[in-house]
Amino acid sequence: MGPLYKFGWFDFAYSFQIAGLVGFFFGFVLERAGFGDARKLTAIFYLRDFAVLKVMFTAIVVCSLGLLYFSLFGWIDLARVHILPTYIWPQIVGGLILGVGFVMGGYCPTTSIVATVTGKLDGLIFIVGMMLGSIIFAELFPLLQSFYEAGGMGTVRLPDLFHLSPGVIALLISLMALGVYWVAERVEQKFGNPDELPKGSPKAKRIAAGILVLLGLILAVGYPEERYAQKPVTALLPPKGEKATPIEQKTAPVEKPKSASGFKIVEDEGC
Amino acid sequence: MNKRYANPYAIGVCLGLVLLFSFYTMGRGVGSSASFARIGTFAMGLVAPEHTEANAYFSKYFRGGRSPLMAWLVFLSLGAGLGALFSAFIANRIKGEVARGPAMGVSARLWLALFGGILSGFAARLARGCTSGQALTGASELAFGSWVFMFCIFGGAYATAYLFRKEWL
Repeated sequence: MGPLYKFGWFDFAYSFQIAGLVGFFFGFVLERAGFGDARKLTAIFYLRDFAVLKVMFTAIVVCSLGLLYFSLFGWIDLARVHILPTYIWPQIVGGLILGVGFVMGGYCPTTSIVATVTGKLDGLIFIVGMMLGSIIFAELFPLLQSFYEAGGMGTVRLPDLFHLSPGVIALLISLMALGVYWVAERVEQKFGNPDELPKGSPKAKRIAAGILVLLGLILAVGYPEERYAQKPVTALLPPKGEKATPIEQKTAPVEKPKSASGFKIVEDEGC
Repeated sequence: MNKRYANPYAIGVCLGLVLLFSFYTMGRGVGSSASFARIGTFAMGLVAPEHTEANAYFSKYFRGGRSPLMAWLVFLSLGAGLGALFSAFIANRIKGEVARGPAMGVSARLWLALFGGILSGFAARLARGCTSGQALTGASELAFGSWVFMFCIFGGAYATAYLFRKEWL
């Protein structure tokens, strides 16, 4: 049962190899999509090419449905997946500034790596800028700290917020994604360069859309809501029969148990 | 140069599966902005070690007594660089250039890349993540704040895109 690391299948040192592997495929698929080129990335903001939106939304839909199916089949314990906490004000302001940085600089953090290794000098300069921006943030942190913690709501997930079952939320997200794709394709047909836009067969798209709605419907009907409940930290002990190992706590960066290699597992962080 | 990129929906499915693999193995999603913050912290630690370790924000990257570079996300970013390099190599897309619109000068573009990077680095720390670590990962977990964050990225970019049209069009 996953997450494998939280059940002690491998130690901290080995997790770096997983990181390298995940990163390799991450960088690979981003480059395949052409996301190493700022012109391709920023075309979305001039309504010419919505590849960024399509990739992001599809990845989110696939992964969120995937997580719920894994949980449904008992392959993953969602209570042990690190959920990013909500701090609504810094997230709103940070998102707006990041958007400005995106259209000004041409990249977001990960795509600037892709750009740099494929030979784009502006990608490298963007990375230097990001390091400077992080240092500026850290130096100003005493002034920013109260805002950094403003609007803290803990781990709020959409099903908790809307009082709907996770399966229904998954179905709604799938439907929203299909609506967004439909609008995006209409808009880019109008403003974009038809030679550079992807050509997909309408039949394949309809079949894929049908499968997505079906998968969402199955979750909406069949996903047991109690499986989604967040267990309190004290309940995060390894269940019987599983290998007993260090379990990370959701909060409080206090002393963590040591793993086999003598490394200490430190707290999760989002990004 | 080969400009034929893969279909974005197919890429999205692959990216979603990569993310799912990360959740299944590690119980966490991907991310990259923290690795730049960590490299910045590492550099600051070389220049002014005491100042850096005393800083309330930098100090969290020294937790556990390890180098700031010994972190999961740093290795993920290294892997991302290798994966992108491999993909660009097999598609014959490695080319030294400055990506910009036809009406844009090189030095102006590089200055804008620098300032855009500074804004992005700052914003990613403020929001506790970037497009991948906060938007992609958090939205897949159905975290409320991450969805708000994602729409705010698009909001901020669309609101100011007109100002930068000469950079790209």
